[in-house]
Amino acid sequence: MLTLVKLLQSLVQALHSEGTPGQVAAGIALGSILGLTPLVSVHNAVVFGLIVLLNVSFPAAMLGWALFVPAGFLLDPLFDAIGRKLLLDTPALVPLWTTLYNTPVVPLTNFNNTVVLGSLVFAVLVFVPLYLTARWAVARYRATIGKRVRQSKWYRAVTASKLYNVYRLFRPEP
Amino acid sequence: MSVRVFRWRAIGPLLLFAALGVGLWVLFADRLARYSAEKVGTAIVGAKVEIQRLHIDLSAGDVTVRGLTVASPHEPFENLLQADELVADLDVLPLLEKKVVIDRLAAHGLRFGTPRTSDGRTVGQSDGLAARVMSEAHGWAQQFQVPALQLATGRIDVGTLDPRNLSAIPAAGALAARTDSSRRAWQAGLDSLRLGPTLDSARATLQRLRGARAADLAVLNDARRTIDQLKRAQGRVTALERGVTGGLAALRAGVAGIDSAKRRDYAAARGLLKLPSLAAPEIGAALFAPTAVARFERALYWAQLARAYMPPGLLPRAQEGPARARRAGATVRFPRERALPAFLLRSAELSFTLDAAASQPKRYSGRLTGLTSDPALYGRPTLFAASAPAIAAGAMIDHVRATPRDTAGAVVQGVRLPALQLPSLPVRIEPREGTVELAFALRGDTIQARWGVRSSRVRWARDSGVAGSAAGDLVWRAVSGISDLEVAAGMTGTLARPRLAVRSNLDEAIAARLRAVVGEEVAAAERKLRAEVDRQVEGKAAPVRAQVATLQREMAARVAEPRARLDQARKDLEGRLRELTRIRVP
Repeated sequence: MLTLVKLLQSLVQALHSEGTPGQVAAGIALGSILGLTPLVSVHNAVVFGLIVLLNVSFPAAMLGWALFVPAGFLLDPLFDAIGRKLLLDTPALVPLWTTLYNTPVVPLTNFNNTVVLGSLVFAVLVFVPLYLTARWAVARYRATIGKRVRQSKWYRAVTASKLYNVYRLFRPEP
Repeated sequence: MSVRVFRWRAIGPLLLFAALGVGLWVLFADRLARYSAEKVGTAIVGAKVEIQRLHIDLSAGDVTVRGLTVASPHEPFENLLQADELVADLDVLPLLEKKVVIDRLAAHGLRFGTPRTSDGRTVGQSDGLAARVMSEAHGWAQQFQVPALQLATGRIDVGTLDPRNLSAIPAAGALAARTDSSRRAWQAGLDSLRLGPTLDSARATLQRLRGARAADLAVLNDARRTIDQLKRAQGRVTALERGVTGGLAALRAGVAGIDSAKRRDYAAARGLLKLPSLAAPEIGAALFAPTAVARFERALYWAQLARAYMPPGLLPRAQEGPARARRAGATVRFPRERALPAFLLRSAELSFTLDAAASQPKRYSGRLTGLTSDPALYGRPTLFAASAPAIAAGAMIDHVRATPRDTAGAVVQGVRLPALQLPSLPVRIEPREGTVELAFALRGDTIQARWGVRSSRVRWARDSGVAGSAAGDLVWRAVSGISDLEVAAGMTGTLARPRLAVRSNLDEAIAARLRAVVGEEVAAAERKLRAEVDRQVEGKAAPVRAQVATLQREMAARVAEPRARLDQARKDLEGRLRELTRIRVP
C-alpha cells in the first residue's frame, strides 16, 4: 500500500512539477534504465548519478523506475535471449567482448551477463522513443486535465506529505 | 526560456550519497565478501561452505579467512575439510578486471573428514553445475551391476514354475496326437487287407485238395492260384507290419523325446533357483565392490568438477549467472592469450592433520601450485604434493591441452581406517590401523583406477541391532577368525564402458564355507524343483506313454494274428499239394 501511495505521489509530482515536459520525459526515460536492468550494476550507479546531476525530473525518474521494474521482470527472457545472441551467437563481436572483458573496471559492470547486457541494450534502444512518447503525453496531459487535477483535494493531500519536501530538493530548475 | 542542463546544487547530496556508500563498504565489506565466498564456494563444491570470519585488507593485499568449514557433498554428517586459518596474499590490480589472483596462500590446521551436526549437502537442493556433475557421477556408478550376496536373504528361493515354460508338456501333447493318428492309420491298413475271402478260398481249396488225386489237374491249379493269393496277402501283411514297426519306433522315440524335454525342463527350472554365488571372485565383488565404486565415484566427481570449472582452451565460456531476484542468465568469460586468468592461485602451502581423533595426531604439509580457472592461460598443470614418512599423496590436473588429464594418488600408512560395512550383512570390518591406497587417472574418457586396503589387525563386529540371519552367521563363522585384510579393486576402460575387478583375501574363505553349507540347501531346492517339474509334466506324459505301450502291444497282436492264419493256410495247402505231386513247390 505504501509503495502504491509513493508511486501515486511520484506520478502526481512528476506530472505537475515545474519541469518542462522534456525534463519529465528525460527523467522517465532515465528511470526506465534503472527499472529494466538488474539494479545492482555499475552502469545503474552512473544512471543514478545522471538523474541527480542532470536537470531532469527526479520524481519522473523514480516513476520511470517504478513503472519499468515489473516490465523488467516480465521481459527477462527476452533480455536473456538478446544477451545470448550478442555474447555467444555473434562471432564478429567476440573480439570486442574479449577486449572489454580484459579491460580494467569494465568487467565490474557485469556486461558479460546475458540479462544485464540484453536489458541494457533494450533500455538504450527504447530510450529515445520513450522520451519522445513521454514528452508528448505530459504535454497533452497538462494541456487537457492537468489544471483540474491540480485544484482537486486529493492532489493537495498528496503534495502536502513529507515526501514532497524531499522532492522539492531535486525538482527541476528553470 | 532556456533550461539549464546541470543541477549543481545536487552535487552535495550526491557526494554525501557516495560517501555513505564508501562508509557502508568499509563497514560491511568483510561481511559481504564472506557471504559471497560462502555462496560461491557452496555452488562450486556442491556442499555448504561456512566461514567464521573473513577480513580483507586491500591496502596490504591480504585476505584472512578463519574457521573455514567445507561440508562433504557425499556424506551427510561429515566435513570435507576444516581449516583453522587461511591467509592469502592477493594481487589487488587484477580485482579491477574482476579477476582473483592469489600469489601465495598459507593454510593452517587443515583437517579432513571431521564430523558435523547437520547435513551439509546442497546438490539435491539446486540444479547447478555441481548437482549436474554429481548426478552424472552417480549415474555412472549405477551402471555397475554388483552381485549381491544372495545368501544374505537366508534362504534359497525356488521361484514360480510356469507350466507354459516346460517343453515336455507340449511334446507329450504332440505325441498323443501322433499316437491317435497312427492308430487310425494302422486300423485302416488292417481293414484294407481283406484277408477273409482269401482265407475262405484257401480253406475251400484245401477241402477239395484233400479229396483230389494227382491227376486232378484243375484242383491242383486252383490250389496253386490260391497259394499265390496267400503269398500276395502275406506281402500286404508284411508291408503293413513294416509300417507299424517303423511307426511304433517313431512313437517310442517320441516317448524318449518327452524324457529328454523333461531333463531340459529340469535344467531350465534350476535357473529359477536364486542360488548364492559360490565363486570366490563374485563374493569379493559382492562384499567390497560397492565401497570401491563409491570411492571411484567420488574421485570422478572431483575430476569432472575440475573439468567443468577449469576447462581447456580459450573459447568463451558460459556459466550460470549470479542468483538474484531477476533471472540469473549466463555469465560469459572471454579469456585472452597473455591475459590473467579469472582465478589463479599461484602457490599454496598446506599444513594438515590426519587422524585428528588420535591421541597424538600427526601433522603433515603439502604444496599446491597453479590452481586456475583458465589452464590454457597459465600454461602449466595444477600440481599437488604431500609427502611424509607415512604418507605420499599427489595430484595433477592437466587441462592445458585439448585432452584433459587428471591423475591423483595417495598412500596413507599407519592411520586409523574407517570401518567397512559388508553389504546386506550385519557384519562390519574395523581395519583399525592399516594402509589405504587410492590411485585415479582420467585421460580424456579413459579411466584407470585402483583402491586398496591392507591391515593386519582387523577386528570384526556384528551389528547388535540386526537379528541374526543364516547368511550373517555363515559369513561371521567364515571370517571372524581372520585377522588380516587385503582388498584390491581395479577399474579400467572408458567412462562409458568401465571394467571393475575386486578381490580380497576373504573371498576364498567365504566361498569354501558357502560351498559346504549351502550345498545341502541347494540339493534340497533342486529336489523340490524336480518334483514340481515331474508333477506338472507327468500329468500329461504318463497317459501318452501308456497309450504308446498299449498301441504297441495291440498292433503286435493284430498284425501277428492274420499273419499266423495266412502262414498256416499256406502251409496246409503247400503240404497237401506236395503230397499229391511230390513236387516241391518253388
